[in-house]
Amino acid sequence: MHPVDHATVVAEDVSKVFFSGGEPVWALEDFSLTVEPGSFTCIVGPSGCGKSTFLRILGGLEERTVGEVTMRGADHPVPAAFVFQEHGVFPWMTVQDNVSFGLRMTGTGARERREIAQDWLRRVRLEAFADSYPHQLSGGMRQRVAIARAFATGSPVLLMDEPLGALDAQTRMLMQEELIALWEAERKTVLMVTHDIDEAIILSDRVIVMSGRPGTVREDLAVPFERPRSFDIERSPEFGELRSRIWNLLREDVRAAEETS
Amino acid sequence: MSTIDSAPSVEDERARRTLVAARAQRERDRRLRYRDLTLSIAAPIVLVLLWEVSARMLIIDPRFFPAPTRILAAGIDMVRSGELWAHTAPTLVRLLLGGGLGAIAGIVMGLLMGSSRALNATLGPLFSALYPLPKIAIFPILLMIFGPTELPKIIAVFITTFFVMQIASVSGVWAIDRKLLEAGTAYGATGFDRFRFVVLPGAMPFVFSGLKTATGTAVVVVTAVEFTGASETGLGYLIWNSWQLFIPEKLYVGLLVIGIIGAVLTALLSRSEKLLLPWRRG
Ligand SMILES: Nc1ncnc2c1ncn2[C@@H]1O[C@H](COP(=O)(O)OP(=O)(O)OP(=O)(O)O)[C@@H](O)[C@H]1O
Ligand SMILES: [Mg+2]
Repeated sequence: MHPVDHATVVAEDVSKVFFSGGEPVWALEDFSLTVEPGSFTCIVGPSGCGKSTFLRILGGLEERTVGEVTMRGADHPVPAAFVFQEHGVFPWMTVQDNVSFGLRMTGTGARERREIAQDWLRRVRLEAFADSYPHQLSGGMRQRVAIARAFATGSPVLLMDEPLGALDAQTRMLMQEELIALWEAERKTVLMVTHDIDEAIILSDRVIVMSGRPGTVREDLAVPFERPRSFDIERSPEFGELRSRIWNLLREDVRAAEETS
Repeated sequence: MSTIDSAPSVEDERARRTLVAARAQRERDRRLRYRDLTLSIAAPIVLVLLWEVSARMLIIDPRFFPAPTRILAAGIDMVRSGELWAHTAPTLVRLLLGGGLGAIAGIVMGLLMGSSRALNATLGPLFSALYPLPKIAIFPILLMIFGPTELPKIIAVFITTFFVMQIASVSGVWAIDRKLLEAGTAYGATGFDRFRFVVLPGAMPFVFSGLKTATGTAVVVVTAVEFTGASETGLGYLIWNSWQLFIPEKLYVGLLVIGIIGAVLTALLSRSEKLLLPWRRG
């Protein structure tokens, strides 16, 4: 049912300049990144360094100032499905209509749409809420709807901007486990922004550490842990090493970001 | 043995007590709801009774405030003779035709302006300049153009609702959470799909609150238009004419019917809002 035409995302020297009150703000400067098909990549970086901006450029929600972006092999009508920082599900659609929205826009028939949506609702354990409206769900459930919508669309690339950012710590851990399982079953190309270093290591094959504004790639780290993964890796010495390495890279910039804001 | 047995029964007992407490709570809620309902019905009844008694005992001047029973009697007479309907029907036609068409045109225009930057740049300033103009002041111009027919009255109501709905719909589109518009874009909603699945439902809450405002304004304008010499029908004319002939009972009947029309329209709108927008809280 799911085609395996995974895509590679290539960004070359992407820069983005905003103007806020006449002053140019460099959100991104010469940001280059190549993402392997079927890989899970996390981007971490200090607040305001341009992570969301980069993801939004990839998702076609923001225009880049200069640079090149290509999605190789992405012939799906929705080349990249987006999960927003705070869910962004439509309050006027039922849970099921939300999940099947991307399919509807790509012209999938009603019956197939319903089957796929129900399958995804089962996978995120929301089948009992198919006909509920988002305001009847908890924050964590809404976030699951957003994630199901992204997966159900069938896009080869998923772009997730802090998809678990608004959740409490316990729900977040559960959702991380679910996300690992969903991804390991689907092997889509995922690019995810997170503030949480542990989350980045647990989920991804590769962690991109960004510098403070203007955002550039400071370090590109491979995550060596085997798949399928569990939270046990948190206790291994390699995990601690990787985490302190990332933290050391971030520390100065995070402090600088705190001071400027 | 006894410990094994007693454990569940203690739990049962606790669950039973919790349920009893929950039921008592629900009972209390229900009693409060009944009380609120009773109060809201009783207050106007008491007021009317007070009015009746004061009018009969000449505490208030019955020439200005005729007793409710006399107003009712006058109303029944007017229904019998067909006079009341002869005035209600034209008002309803003006209100529903002018207001309905005005609302549709206003909503369409507002949604288009909310979605098209160029259209909004073209028409936005113009409409903003015209909006605060009291529409009733345009009425003489309409009379000049169309003569003392039905058309100027319907147009006056049309213009009123049009402006209210245009502004409400534009605001409705602008108030849509940016993230939801982006979610539409991100999942490939363009053109009419975008309008149908994102812009239209997103603007609906504002459209409905606009409709309620527009109803109130339209009732005012239709009454005012009928006050003018240009009208010899309608509830506004009935009220005005009853004042000139000094028949206070008929004046109050006209007032009552206009009030009922406004209330019924507003109630219908609230009901359809609940039906059409089930996704709204509360
Ligand atoms: N529409 C905009 N207009 C002007 N400036 C903007 C705009 N969007 C973002 N910026 C600026 O660009 C910079 C990068 O913003 P961005 O949202 O990409 O940061 P971020 O890394 O996602 O931060 P966070 O981790 O806090 O979400 C910020 O300094 C922000 O002020
Ligand atoms: Mg961000």
